Order: sequence, then C-alpha cells, then structure tokens
Amino acid sequence: MMELTIEHLSKRYGQNWALRELSLRCEPGMLGLVGPNGAGKTTLMRMIATLLSPTEGTIRWNGQDIRTHGEALRQVLGYLPQDFGIYPEFTGRQFLRYLAAMKGLPTSLVNRRVDEVLSIANLEQVADRKLPTYSGGMKQRIGIAQALLNDPELLIVDEPTAGLDPAERVRFRTLLSSLTSNRIILLSTHIISDVEAVANRLMILQEGRVLTDTTPEALLAKTAGSVWGVTTDQTTALQLQASYQVSTMVNQMHGITLRIVSATRPHEAAVVIDPSLEEAYLLAVGRPAVRV
Amino acid sequence: MNATVLTSTEQQTRITGHQYPLTRVVTWELRRFLASRLFWFQALGFWGFLLLIIWALHASDQTGTVTGSEQLSAYVAGTSAGGLLRTLPTYLIILALLLPFITADGVTRDVNRRTHELLMTTALPTWAYVLGRYLASLIIGLGLALLLFASILGMGGLLHLTDPTYPLPQPDAVLLLWVGMVLSATILVSSVGFAMSTLWPRLSMLIKAVIMVGWLTGALVIPVSFRNTTPPPAWYVNWDPTSGITALGLLPAYQIGLNSSITNEAQLLQFILSVENKMPDLAGWFVPHLLLAGASLVLVLVAALAFKRSRETLS
Repeated sequence: MMELTIEHLSKRYGQNWALRELSLRCEPGMLGLVGPNGAGKTTLMRMIATLLSPTEGTIRWNGQDIRTHGEALRQVLGYLPQDFGIYPEFTGRQFLRYLAAMKGLPTSLVNRRVDEVLSIANLEQVADRKLPTYSGGMKQRIGIAQALLNDPELLIVDEPTAGLDPAERVRFRTLLSSLTSNRIILLSTHIISDVEAVANRLMILQEGRVLTDTTPEALLAKTAGSVWGVTTDQTTALQLQASYQVSTMVNQMHGITLRIVSATRPHEAAVVIDPSLEEAYLLAVGRPAVRV
Repeated sequence: MNATVLTSTEQQTRITGHQYPLTRVVTWELRRFLASRLFWFQALGFWGFLLLIIWALHASDQTGTVTGSEQLSAYVAGTSAGGLLRTLPTYLIILALLLPFITADGVTRDVNRRTHELLMTTALPTWAYVLGRYLASLIIGLGLALLLFASILGMGGLLHLTDPTYPLPQPDAVLLLWVGMVLSATILVSSVGFAMSTLWPRLSMLIKAVIMVGWLTGALVIPVSFRNTTPPPAWYVNWDPTSGITALGLLPAYQIGLNSSITNEAQLLQFILSVENKMPDLAGWFVPHLLLAGASLVLVLVAALAFKRSRETLS
C-alpha cells in the first residue's frame, strides 16, 4: 500500500489563509503542483513533509494521520526544499554520508548508496570537493541526491529545476520520470513545461484553493479553441497585449507574432492554434503573462 | 545527471528504523566540527592566548619583607593552588566568552543555515537530534576546558624548567580546582546557552550576549566591590558560578603573613611555597558548583522535550 490522502486541509498564518479546504488522494505517479506565487504550494508541501502543522484537516500516509505517525512517513520521505542550506565544512560526499546517517541508513549500506545517488545526480567528478565551491546547479543536484538517499516512497520536490541549465533540467525531468513507477512524487514548479514533460496529474492552486485537479491532456483539451495566433504591426500588437492574455510575443522581420489566450477571436486575422500547457494554465488562472 | 533508476539497493535502502541515533548525531556533529578550518583556527587561537595569559600571570601576587638593610621579595606562582585562585577566574572569563558561540547554536545554526528542513524531514528522532547536538558541543567545550588544564600544567612545567625557583604545579590541586571551577562552569555555560537558544531560537544572539555580560559582571565587576572591604557572604562564595567570589572567599587561607624569622630569600621562597601549594579547602563550594552544573543538565532535558520539529516554532 502506498497512498497519501489529504482531507479538508487548511493552513492559516495570523489572519491570512495560505491554504483552504484542500482534499487530495495520491497513489504512485507524479502530481505536478503549479500556481502563482503565494498560491500555497510550498505550504502544502511543508505540511505533507511534517514541517508545518495544519490549522484544520488531516493528512494520512497509508491510512495513518501524520500528526501522530509522523515518523512512519519520514522514514519513507524524500524532500527537496525550494531553498536549502549546506554545511560548508563538508565535501559533497561527506554531506550525503551525513544525511544518510541522519536518515538512518544502515552503516554497511551508506557508502554504496551515496555512490549511487552521486552517479544519478552526475556529481561523481566533484564529490570530493567542498560544498561552497559548488555552482548553483551542482548544489541543486546535491539536494536531489540527498532526497533520494533512502529510496523514498514519497518524494516531494519544491521548485527542483530552479538554477539548473536547460540540459540539466531535461536530464532531471527524465530522472523524475524514471522514478514514478514505484513511488508518489509531488512536484511543485513555476515551469509549466516541467510538469508537461513528466506529470501524469496536474493540480493548479490559486489563493490557497484548488483551481483544477486534472491531467495535462484533459487541461489541454479543455483549452482547445481558446488559443490564437496572429502576426501584426507593433501598434496593434500593443493594443492586443493590453486587451488580452498574450502568452508569447515574438518580433519578426514581417511584424510581431502573438499567441493570445482568449475564449473569443481577438483579431480578425487571428487563427486558432494548438495550445501549450502553459497557455492552458494561463486560461485557468486568468492572469496576463507575456513572453517576448 | 544520469537518468538511472534506483534498483540495486532498493529493498535494503528502505529503512525500518534508526539504530543508535544519538551516537550517529554526536559522531557526525563532531566530524563536522573537526572538518572546519575555522574551528581549528579558533581552538589554536584560544590555546595560544591561554599560554600567553598564563605566562603573563605567572607571578600572580608580589610579596616581600625587609631584613636588616636587605629587601627581600618574591611572588606567588600563578600555577600554584594559591596563585590559581587569583588567576583562574580570569581564564574562566575567556572560556565563558567563547563557549556560547560553540554550544548555544547547536540547533539554531541549522535554522540559520537552512539545513533544518533537510534534517527535520528525516526519520531522526527529535530527542536524538537535540541531545546529540548538545553532547557534541559539550564535548568540544570540555575539550577546550581540558586544553586549559593542560596549559596550566604545561606552562607551569615550562616556567619551572626556565627558572628552578618557580614551583612545579601540583597536579592534584590543579585538578581539584579545575573540576570545581572550570568543569562545572563549562557544563553550566554550555547547557544554559544551548537550552535557552534551543527553546527561543530567535533570541539566540541576545541569549549569548546576556550570558557574556552576566559572566563578566559576576567574575569582574562584583568581586571588585568586595575587595578590601567586608568579606562576601558565605552563600555567595559557595554558589558563585563564575568562581570570582568563590576565589575571594578561599584566598584568606593563602594569606602570606611574613614574620621576622625570615632572614634570606631562600627562607622566603620556602615559606611562600608552603603556603601557595596548600590543597584548596573544598568544603562549602565544591558540591554547589557541581550541583549548578547538574541543574543546567536538567534544563537541556527540558529543551529536548519541549523542542518541536515544526518550522513554525523556529522561523
């Protein structure tokens, strides 16, 4: 059995509700959590990781409330926070051995396991360098490596691809995909293409509430007919930008090409085009965004 | 990054429980301390400063007499029992100013470094985390206290080698004063600093400042008010954790009353030696000092029990 169940979960900071009445049931596979800043993604992840107590509601791991059985969850939990620190005294290998010891891995297994996760994170060449000499991408990869040390059944990754270059991001997505078969992965990200590439389920949070809980395919299907492409002059482009959600705006030789998210035809020359998941997200969230 | 699926150790890696969590935390925390160049730099600096100050205070008190037309003078050795009662509170000040920076942040350093979330999401039991951090920092603190003990004996021996009239330190007397004053103070400062900072992590810097100011007041300011006036009350002599007042209360036993029978320097040295190397009287103060240290350990237990893994407590 491997099941994460969340019922009527709410979290309040002072007078502000960061999360309201969230219910969710997860089985092995990957759930992509997206939403604007302040939507409650990190709060939700921290509550599942037992770092925060819910104001209301329950989180159950395999039927057990994690408030009273937190240790059972932590034994099978891998967590990569959005922003984490390192011990500057340690090399990458020492850091992983340290966390392996804290996670309770048997001593006889630690070295082999550390070598494995170093290999997975492609850090073997720099494993014996002190952590302060690591680049941002390497630091992120050491974070991913530590999350995998105990071969977690529940892997929570909060903005894991931030700081990675495009090639590393693609490799990381592939790695995450390969891990989904026998565990639950919760992936929080701002980068919609990450979710599109790896998640079989997508949840959009906004202002602490669930806006959509669906599959990427279903969300795309729902958006079909609501994304338009048009190439026009600069003045018209600026007018369209002011009136509609423009997802992309590209300067070209013969004018400016826009991708517009709109339920109605925004311009007489506009034609319906295939939506991207990012555009489906924009339509759901209802926020203007421009990528020039 | 390789897209390798974790399979080879999958079954074995999924853990079923922690074995010896406290030992693991202490061992790794010590490794972390020892891997830090800054730590070695601090320890070496502390040791060098100690040797310098022990050497500077090797003549802790001047005394003299006049016989006929000859003026005789000698000094009390800083590393003798009588001399240590004059100098040890000063050495303790140095130690007490350094200890909060080593011990108080055992847990709060993780919050400041943002390693807290990585640790709190492991299966490490809370009590093992808190007590392990405490024990590791206490071991480091005791190591520094031992360095003081070794420095007193070592510098005393070195001074004896360079000047045969300088008496060799008496290890038993030094050990008793070290246990009663230095060991107890090390445990007390380490425990109070750690426990308070763990309970109120946001006030960690303030707690360190209060400990340091409190210690300076107890060891330097208050004893000045008792010098050459009324003797300090007995309860204060017995229960003073800084040992400043305790030393003042014990010093009368080492008063050197010179008489006219001393006619040459050799007699004077012999007389001073017989007084300064007397074993300190342990009655009254020794047990209270250890009790204070013991009470501070209870405070650490309270901190370990009250500590919450939740980030809300610490942020």
